[in-house]
Amino acid sequence: MANLAPNGLEAQAQNGKDNSNLKPQNSKPGMQSNPAEWEPKILAFCCNWCTYTGADLAGLNRMKYPDNIRVIRVPCSGRVNPQFIFRAFQKGYDGVLVCGCHPWDCHYTAGNYYTRRRFLLMKRLLEYAGIDPGRFQARWISGSEAAKFRDTISKVTEEIKALGPNYKLKEE
Amino acid sequence: MNEIESNLRQRARSLLAEGKISCFIGWGPTRFPDRALPKFIFKPEEAEQLVYNEHCLNLLAKYTLAFQYSNEVIGLAARGCEARAINRLIADGSLKRDNLYLVGIHCEGMKENGSPAEKCQYCCHRDPVIYDELLGEPAGGPENLPRFAEVEELENMDADARYEYWQGQFAKCIRCYACRNICPACNCLECYTEQYRTGWQGKQANTLENSLFGFTRAYHIGDRCIECGECERACPMDISLMKLNRKLVKDVQELFGGAEAGLSAEDIHALGSYRKEDLEEFM
Repeated sequence: MANLAPNGLEAQAQNGKDNSNLKPQNSKPGMQSNPAEWEPKILAFCCNWCTYTGADLAGLNRMKYPDNIRVIRVPCSGRVNPQFIFRAFQKGYDGVLVCGCHPWDCHYTAGNYYTRRRFLLMKRLLEYAGIDPGRFQARWISGSEAAKFRDTISKVTEEIKALGPNYKLKEE
Repeated sequence: MNEIESNLRQRARSLLAEGKISCFIGWGPTRFPDRALPKFIFKPEEAEQLVYNEHCLNLLAKYTLAFQYSNEVIGLAARGCEARAINRLIADGSLKRDNLYLVGIHCEGMKENGSPAEKCQYCCHRDPVIYDELLGEPAGGPENLPRFAEVEELENMDADARYEYWQGQFAKCIRCYACRNICPACNCLECYTEQYRTGWQGKQANTLENSLFGFTRAYHIGDRCIECGECERACPMDISLMKLNRKLVKDVQELFGGAEAGLSAEDIHALGSYRKEDLEEFM
């Protein structure tokens, strides 16, 4: 068995050399040369108690939705600091989605009421700053609304695809 | 005006002599005839150094934070903007009302380089809204000034043009943080820009980081801005900061209603409260 180890190592090294194309490619959508291949990158903040559970249910039900979203699980939609939105655009996301429980449904009683006020204002500020209002969206999706999660993701992805890559407030 | 000046000196002198206050904050002369700067008076005989004229541009309220942790009573000349800023600081828990003695003044607007000061242009609160004594009579002031006209003009522009406008404005920014330092709503003990280990805000003075700082600061004070215009006056690079602040003030009023910020010391700011009937856009 002992003589297998060098072989194994060699094989690994060989692999690394030959299959260099398996290394992660630069996946920044804006960096791709062909605009037809461009896919938007969307950041979704999902509340642990509703939307994240809803997304889980969508998965359990084998629902298909675009893979353009990256989900960040947050304890409550009230956890989402408006600055996260600026940060997401800065770091190259083409759209941001904030999802939480329906207004009367918050696990922490009132977190999403604050979220609602916060992002009503934030949405207008982003628009004033010159960012397309479609790039930032918020939705209430409960734990049982797997279909709504799927539809929201599909719709938002489509909308942002139509808007094209975001260059505003983006880091060089 | 001269009457107010002599009254102010006399009140500061007697308040200090009676031991009611340990410091009086007003304005003092500079070596330029058309400038006045904040002046701290600690002794009754120093009261003669106080001035009050049309060049008293500085907002005094934030200087009271120098005495935030002492239990001394501080006297302050309070115009409309100072009074609202004091309400702001009390509502934010930065000051105690008992530690302040406000000498109210009616203000007719200040002058800057010979013309009416920009920051007083849209002022609708020329009488102090909070004071312990008032020098003279409340005289009211203009109402319903078109203070959102500039904001609406910008709102009607094309989104790309608006983006270019703000990037152009913030390209000028040198990140001196003068706007934050002078702002009565920016009274956090530690500003988020200083929390460099959490990485809220890049330190680079480039257009992107500057604009992120500008938008974030505007958002932080959006529901508490008293529109004193000090940020814009203090800005060495002439960035139109009030166009940004007024946008948020306008939206807060349209979305959540309520009184203007700083009219009462029991202010509840819009983003720190909610109503179940708030506008629903996210369904």
